Amino acid sequence: MPSAKEELNGQATSPGALAGKSIALKDNIVTKDSPTTAASKVLSGYESPFDATVVKLLRQHGASISSKTNLDEFGMGSHSQSSNTGPVFSPFSRNGTPLSPGGSSGGSAVAVATGQCWAALGTDTGGSVRLPAAYTGVVGFKPSYGLLSRWGVIQYANSLDTVGVLAQSVKDARQVFRSLNVFDAQDPTSLPASVRQRLGPRRREPGRKRLRIGVPVEYNIDELSSTVRAAYVRTLDALQVAGHTLHPISLPSTRRALSAYYVLAPAEASSNLAKYDGIRYGYRTAGPDASPKRNSPLYAQTRGEGFGDEVKRRILLGAYTLSSEAIDNYFIQAQKVRRLVQQDFDRVFAQSNPLLDASLSTRSGDGGVDIIITPTAPTLPPTVDEVKRQSPVESYMNDVFTVPASLAGLPAVSLPAPLSEQERSSMEESDVTSVGMQFIGQFGDDETVLEAAELVEQLQP
Amino acid sequence: MKTPTARIAPLHLSRTLHSSFHANLRVPRASVVSKWLRSRNLTTAPALAQEAVPLRKHLKDEAKRKKAEAKINGVAKKLKTDPRLEKWELAVGIEIHAELNTECKLFSSGPTEGSDGVANSRVAFFDAALPGTQPQFQVATLLPALRAAIALGCEVQRKSGWDRKHYFHWDQPNGYQITQYYEPFAKNGTLTLSASDGVPTSDLNGADSIGIGIKQIQMEQDTAKTTHHPPSTYHIDLNRAGHPLIEVITLPHIHSPQTAAAVVRKIQAILRSVDACVTGMELGGLRADVNVSIRERGTEGTGSSYSGVSGLGQRTEIKNLSSFKAVEDAIVAERDRQIAVLEAEGVIEGETRGWTLGATETTRLRGKEGEVDYRYMPDADLPPLVVGSDLVDHLRVTMPELPDETVDRVERQYGVTLKDAKTMVDLDDGDRLEFLEETVELVLRRSGDQATDQLRVGKLVGNWILHELGGLLATTETSWATMTITPVEVADVLVNLQNKQITARVAKQLLSTLNDTSTSPRPSVDHLIDEGNLRLRPLSDEGYEVLAMQIMDESPDMVAAVREKGQKGKIMWFVGQMVRRGEEGTVEPENAREVLERLLSD
Repeated sequence: MPSAKEELNGQATSPGALAGKSIALKDNIVTKDSPTTAASKVLSGYESPFDATVVKLLRQHGASISSKTNLDEFGMGSHSQSSNTGPVFSPFSRNGTPLSPGGSSGGSAVAVATGQCWAALGTDTGGSVRLPAAYTGVVGFKPSYGLLSRWGVIQYANSLDTVGVLAQSVKDARQVFRSLNVFDAQDPTSLPASVRQRLGPRRREPGRKRLRIGVPVEYNIDELSSTVRAAYVRTLDALQVAGHTLHPISLPSTRRALSAYYVLAPAEASSNLAKYDGIRYGYRTAGPDASPKRNSPLYAQTRGEGFGDEVKRRILLGAYTLSSEAIDNYFIQAQKVRRLVQQDFDRVFAQSNPLLDASLSTRSGDGGVDIIITPTAPTLPPTVDEVKRQSPVESYMNDVFTVPASLAGLPAVSLPAPLSEQERSSMEESDVTSVGMQFIGQFGDDETVLEAAELVEQLQP
Repeated sequence: MKTPTARIAPLHLSRTLHSSFHANLRVPRASVVSKWLRSRNLTTAPALAQEAVPLRKHLKDEAKRKKAEAKINGVAKKLKTDPRLEKWELAVGIEIHAELNTECKLFSSGPTEGSDGVANSRVAFFDAALPGTQPQFQVATLLPALRAAIALGCEVQRKSGWDRKHYFHWDQPNGYQITQYYEPFAKNGTLTLSASDGVPTSDLNGADSIGIGIKQIQMEQDTAKTTHHPPSTYHIDLNRAGHPLIEVITLPHIHSPQTAAAVVRKIQAILRSVDACVTGMELGGLRADVNVSIRERGTEGTGSSYSGVSGLGQRTEIKNLSSFKAVEDAIVAERDRQIAVLEAEGVIEGETRGWTLGATETTRLRGKEGEVDYRYMPDADLPPLVVGSDLVDHLRVTMPELPDETVDRVERQYGVTLKDAKTMVDLDDGDRLEFLEETVELVLRRSGDQATDQLRVGKLVGNWILHELGGLLATTETSWATMTITPVEVADVLVNLQNKQITARVAKQLLSTLNDTSTSPRPSVDHLIDEGNLRLRPLSDEGYEVLAMQIMDESPDMVAAVREKGQKGKIMWFVGQMVRRGEEGTVEPENAREVLERLLSD
């Protein structure tokens, strides 16, 4: 493992940077000293023989692991209600019913929101750090894909999975992020030093303090609640008043991004979860587990009993979209949409995508934007009862704003934006006091994303 | 999230799989299971220990078989015994899986050897598909794969990719195999075969050689080994799981079962010669699947095509053949089945069939509707494999000698026949050739300043190693691998023979003695010669004459036969008598013959 010295931007954190800090871990990050189950029966009792790289790094920097937090089984969900060990409840409630803490890193978000830990690690595949951050009023940061090691992070959709940080402030989130931001040879998707170096010096032109902020027209959807829209407008206004400039931008593939995500993520999930067969570890059915005579497939019993409904739904969906008759119409099409989503972003950002050949850049000539700001979720958190009444597709709608950055692998942070006095006075005291604002940056421009969020944090009353 | 029983993940994999087969119903179910396994191209039992058939024996057996067949059919001297083959033309393509010779697995640092075969001792976290583990491509595994691709004349692709092939089986811990389905690392090779490789003349069409196109070569992971402990327990050994394999896919350019076997044999020889793979087919290191179709000569078949080869009949696939003989026999069986179906105006179904050793028919495993949908998907964890042309060029110039080149060299360098050279190269993993080279060098060195030349010594040593030593092993039923005679000993014997210190008869006897004597320690050849009083003590001319006269006197009939009936061949009977009757190591056949010829012509 490379030492912390290899960190980019000369912002190396010395060992001990997290000394004395208690950090909670989403329970899909493996640890040697406690079971890791990804909230699934299929992994009940599983103890990993190794620590995830991010866990090793946390320990190296002096942090203590306070607890493992609950989640939607294997990270599949937007409300942390589908866990083998029971649902997660937000500290907030409405009419006496707890609100959704968001998912899938709901446990980590609640642990931070309620002060049970200084910060927490979550994982973000399509919004699983940002959405719970928005719903519980904390900061949730999803770094660029490939910056934080996934070795030891239980896969859901490995081309989208990222380790993310939940914290009370942008500063704290940044501190954890920097402690973990090193190359890891054990993760084949970890960005090597050569690429990391290309990310470093690509800052805004020196001296330009004013941020160019992109406001995507496609995110102004009908489903956007008035409260969220108002907070969004206040955030943008505050930035403008502070001298930053707003620029309407178009991300035309946004609408199709959600559909593409719900094809790609389940496809990868169906593959990544094929290993849970009850043979080497985890849950195994009591009786026989294959009957060739009855033509029942191998492991059907173990997997049938071991996985929850949402996981099964996504495995089936994924197995179908990868099947030879469907792959062209679903998986391949979704990959094309994914590429379009990435191109949308590349067109609007001032910086070119460091992963692409600069000559291929399709950026428009107007200089582009430094950062895109959108709401994190279109509405306030629903109550857990409302979640129960939602169809799976309605539930998937929650991810509409967070999924595009995941598909493009971009850094994104959700920052709580406080509701106005007036708004709060019309709501119960137990209800949320903020909504999430999402800051999206160009690939590798994680520091700008954090910087912009911190700036807004400081402008807030 | 808390569970009282914390099981430690490293792999105590003797956990048994209770499948639903009960003892009382074992027989029918076992067959279902084995079919079901084979349909996934897997074996659950250790590979059948099939005897390796050396080429020479293979060719001999082949000739014998054909002769016998010809006799039965009463059409002696005609090779094609089945008149239906005049009408139907066979087309075969082969997929060969070979284990690469590497130190570590394809995607983990797990070693491929060591621990004396203790089950589940060579298993990295990824090999056991532990949660949170990822593949790490081991660059070293690329080298033998590239050597194989170059030796098989393929174009190494600058960029290739890794894909997941999904199916559930207990020998596949991840639930998928990582392979190169969409973009293999090598494409468009050619394999050249001649009559000496075992291609029948009918396939050569008058040419010296034929070229078999190689569509592609891909790298992929091997599976775990499963052993069945009846009635319903399976033990899984992950040592082999993730071992790198290459799959070589030929075009359907093969038109006879014999050529198909020759292709597999030759590919194996080439892979071994460039150190791409270690174990041979009979040891389970190599497995083949064959695609078989027939068409009426002069027609376009059913109009099927495969990778640019068009005008084929409907093909079937026979999976998991693990010996050369199995390849040949399975194709014969499937060809004959297809002919019978088509002649009865039936239709060939595109299906997967199985064949077991000793069977005369292939059996249906599953049809198209029963095809496993492997749901091939690019592995998002693995970046594309990029191979620079500089690496390929470097490997190309440093390639070891290929078998055909070796045969050519042996023929030229040691003055042996093409047939002997080829046998020498093919036998015992090239061990026989090494033995030859070492012995020749020793003999040359020992011969000192005597006027000897490599060709003459090469021929002598070649003859003794191949035929005399070979014969000795055959009669004593000893295998080459367990034979204890050393090149030094053979050289000692041959130097003595060459220097007329011993007779050829004594030389053979010495080899036999050596073969029977334990090596701890064994007396030297010279010691054996002295001890046995075997050194040639040449008889005087007089001595020869006395001995010859004595035998002639005892056998007037034989003398008459030579003298009066002119039966010159009988002279050799007298030579034999003299060698036998003379004291050991005194009579040289050439001299005896000379004397006899003189005396008998008087």
